[in-house]
Amino acid sequence: MSDSIMQQRQEAEEALRGASSVAELTAAETKYLGRDKGLNELRRTLGALPKEERPAFGARINDAIAQLSEQFAAKRAELQASEMQARLRDEAIDVTLPGRPYTAGRLHPLTQTSDRIKTVLGGMGYQFVDGPELEEHDYNFAALNYPEDHPAMDEQSSFFVTDSRLMRTQTTAIQGRMMAQMSPPFRFATIGRCFRYEAVDATHHHTFHQVDVFMVDEKISMSDLKGTLGAFARSMFGPETLVRFRPDFFPFVEPGVDYSISWQGRWLELGGAGLIHPNILRAYGINTERYSGFAFGLGIERTHMIRTGVSDLRLYLENDLRFLRQF
Amino acid sequence: MRVPLEWLKQLVAVEASAEEIETRLTMGGLEVEGIEESAIGPVLDVYITPNRGDCLSMSGVAREAAALYGAPLHLPSPPPSREGGAVSEMTSVTILDPDLCPRYAARIVRGVKIGPSPLWMQRRLEAMGQRPINNVVDVTNYVMLEIGQPLHAFDLSKLAEGRIIVRRAEEGEKLVTLDEIERTLQPEMLVISDGEKAVAIAGVMGGLHSEVSARTTDVLIESAHFQPLSVRRTSRLLGIRTEASYRFERVVDPDGVRRAADRACELLQQMGQPAPVEGIVDVCPSPITPRTVTLRVTRAAELLGMDLTSHICADSLRLLGFDVLTESHGPTDTLHVQVPSFRPDIVLEEDLIEEIGRIYGYENIPETLPAGGATQGGDSEEGIFITRLKRTLTACGMQEVVTHSLVAPSLFESPADADRLVAVRNALSAEVGGLRRSLLPTLLDAAQLNARQGQRQLALFEVGRVWQNEPTDDGPVPVEYIAVAGLLAGPMGEAGWQKDTTRIPADFAMARGVVERLFADLGIVDATFRALQDRAEQLPQFHPGRTATISLRGGHPAGVIGEVHPAVAAKLDMRERVVLFEIGLNALQEAATKTSHGFTPLTRFPSVSRDLAPRLPEEVTYAAVASAVRTANVPLLEDFRLTDVFRGGPVPAGTKSLTVSLTLRADDHTLSEAEITDALTRIRAELTERCGAVLS
Repeated sequence: MSDSIMQQRQEAEEALRGASSVAELTAAETKYLGRDKGLNELRRTLGALPKEERPAFGARINDAIAQLSEQFAAKRAELQASEMQARLRDEAIDVTLPGRPYTAGRLHPLTQTSDRIKTVLGGMGYQFVDGPELEEHDYNFAALNYPEDHPAMDEQSSFFVTDSRLMRTQTTAIQGRMMAQMSPPFRFATIGRCFRYEAVDATHHHTFHQVDVFMVDEKISMSDLKGTLGAFARSMFGPETLVRFRPDFFPFVEPGVDYSISWQGRWLELGGAGLIHPNILRAYGINTERYSGFAFGLGIERTHMIRTGVSDLRLYLENDLRFLRQF
Repeated sequence: MRVPLEWLKQLVAVEASAEEIETRLTMGGLEVEGIEESAIGPVLDVYITPNRGDCLSMSGVAREAAALYGAPLHLPSPPPSREGGAVSEMTSVTILDPDLCPRYAARIVRGVKIGPSPLWMQRRLEAMGQRPINNVVDVTNYVMLEIGQPLHAFDLSKLAEGRIIVRRAEEGEKLVTLDEIERTLQPEMLVISDGEKAVAIAGVMGGLHSEVSARTTDVLIESAHFQPLSVRRTSRLLGIRTEASYRFERVVDPDGVRRAADRACELLQQMGQPAPVEGIVDVCPSPITPRTVTLRVTRAAELLGMDLTSHICADSLRLLGFDVLTESHGPTDTLHVQVPSFRPDIVLEEDLIEEIGRIYGYENIPETLPAGGATQGGDSEEGIFITRLKRTLTACGMQEVVTHSLVAPSLFESPADADRLVAVRNALSAEVGGLRRSLLPTLLDAAQLNARQGQRQLALFEVGRVWQNEPTDDGPVPVEYIAVAGLLAGPMGEAGWQKDTTRIPADFAMARGVVERLFADLGIVDATFRALQDRAEQLPQFHPGRTATISLRGGHPAGVIGEVHPAVAAKLDMRERVVLFEIGLNALQEAATKTSHGFTPLTRFPSVSRDLAPRLPEEVTYAAVASAVRTANVPLLEDFRLTDVFRGGPVPAGTKSLTVSLTLRADDHTLSEAEITDALTRIRAELTERCGAVLS
């Protein structure tokens, strides 16, 4: 009887050694160690043995099963490892092949620039508001302290639509609209499209975009304006950016300046700024002894051009995909 | 304003180079836009802002330079003439319209020999862009450039009765001006006339008849002050812009009138011409009293945000020619400042504060941040909504474009309601002749431009303002709206190297997919698409069989989606099918869910999926099928979608087979076969009854 155990065991070991795949190994294991198969089948013969021989025979079968199981497990691990290696080898690809092209929609560079400006100014407490592009002549000029038919308007030749309405020449037109509704303190900003009757070339366009920012509170000074512009410019153009004022004239500010930023070793003119003209504040019932405010403007195209080096203003409204896809 | 450096340095003692002066003037508010070389050396090209008419002369620029450098100023000071005298016996001045001419002075020089002016004067005139003419005319131009007061010289012998009358023109009055053009005048224009007729357009241009010629011997020199608005309007009405009108528009120093006439006489005499007739006629019916403005030093320091003393303030103002009348010192320093007549732009305390800041130097202003309380910043409601739209559209693979608002009439416009287009009144070219009524024409332009560049895949969108005339009781009024529009054309997706890469040509369904995605993201659930078909005349630019109007919440059409009419596409030279959509932002905003839906619990009971494949007459639309499925009102129906449209084969001609995949589920138990059968029976019944469906 003990020979039968030995024989089974030898056969199983032979099959184990001969297995060249996990599948063959599994077949062999089932044949010799499966339920009611091989060594387990031998157990059935236990009953036929004399009572005193049964424990020893049983123990030998169990031993053989345990040892074989261990051998099979070890062989299985070995085969699995080599099979995995083979699979990984076979599945290798040329990772230098290009990926699947994926079409992504993008925002226009003017939107990207506006969004960035909105994030920066929003974080500084400015609430964005929207005004009409087809604007009242009064909000565009008279409310901004332009004297009747003043040469200052020559610089902003307008597209007239009706007797009283024109395409706004500046987003500053929002100031009167907001001051008519709100009492200080307040901080507002608007971004939008402006129109001036100009010949179109690389640096002039009859259609362009501006942000206009203004605030009124107690004791607002030119240094607050400079500090705000500094903080804004550093967020937009980098932490080392400096701001410089130069006297300039806009009817809606007094003092009026234009401001430049330091950029790659030069001063670049960015826009107009100043303290809101007292005539405007008073026209909207704001006590100028208590309150003052500042305002500044900025071209969206100009901002993007500085940041990217685009040199032709006309590209923005042409919508050539070769241009748009660069941003 | 052109400023020869040589002349500037004669007026102000500054040793600096052209480049140094350029920087100092620019930082002081007179922007130097360039430096050019001339026969008399460098000439600065200075931009003068419209409020600083006083700087439109060498003296004005010199005064600024003197203040900025703190350097001595040497302005010409001709021997002053005495009012009246011999001249008042030879001529007279009558001002009939003092509102338009507050002051008029005249001097006379007799026995003048007309000839060229000296070379030094010609050189300076040329450097400043003026053409030398003769000694008398050159002197008047020279004085204008030197002091800023435009002068005019008349040939005294050509003035009827030898006298001057300043009056409004008569209706239809004619005058041939120096440029030999006959001008027809209007009553709002001011003219200078002699005893009989108009001889000059006040402040704009002289008449040909009385001009100084080679035969002239006696000249009358006019030095006057004209109302800026009047000169501006006259100059615009006549289309004449001269050095004189440019200056008068920007306000000339009313107190410089007599000095300018005296200076002209002095120069003529220095050039070897006879001495002027003694005296001056100076009619000044509305004398100007100097303005005094009070300045609080603390206020100046507060507004400029820098430390200031009354000394700094007073010194800065004095350098600019202001008279500081009283200075009271202490914590509440106050200055009473008399404004010189050449600075009519200074009216308020803030105006003085700007002058102080400018001269003391803006570089001395520190950076601070506003002290007040924090405010809530962020985008506007409209801006946030637009950002949501754009996020969806870019996620659909579309590129945002930004096109023109001012447009020429487009091929892609329905001619039916041309009167709703808003026109630009003063457009000089059709290119900018009107306001766009739709984003689609310019979107098509952008597509065309890119197609010409060889771009075949076009997926573009824009969010922008549009305008149309709306009828009101007072007639049509232009109203501004915001629209969102998209364009799809050509094969979509990208061709790669894999065999399974497919590029799908853009079609109606693709555009509709984008629009449906947009609605889903905005929480709009009740959009209906209605075939254009029998309303094709409303939108003739669209393909009548491949276009639908879109309504939200059962309202009026708020948008359109469809293919460009093949005939229009051919004219536009677009070879691929072009699909467009456009929807009003207002309607989207109103339909969009403003509040959150809340949350639907995830059920743990499984769903069951069943397909129905009704065979239908060709004319039955999918909308009818979907409506029938909904009408069955089966609570267990969680969702359904179309998975196939099949024609041909076993499906008889004139019919089609749609496959609808139904998802059934209960929240609280696993569905039994009986429940499923019951649900399907009800849906089948509706399909048979409402759509004439045959179900196998």
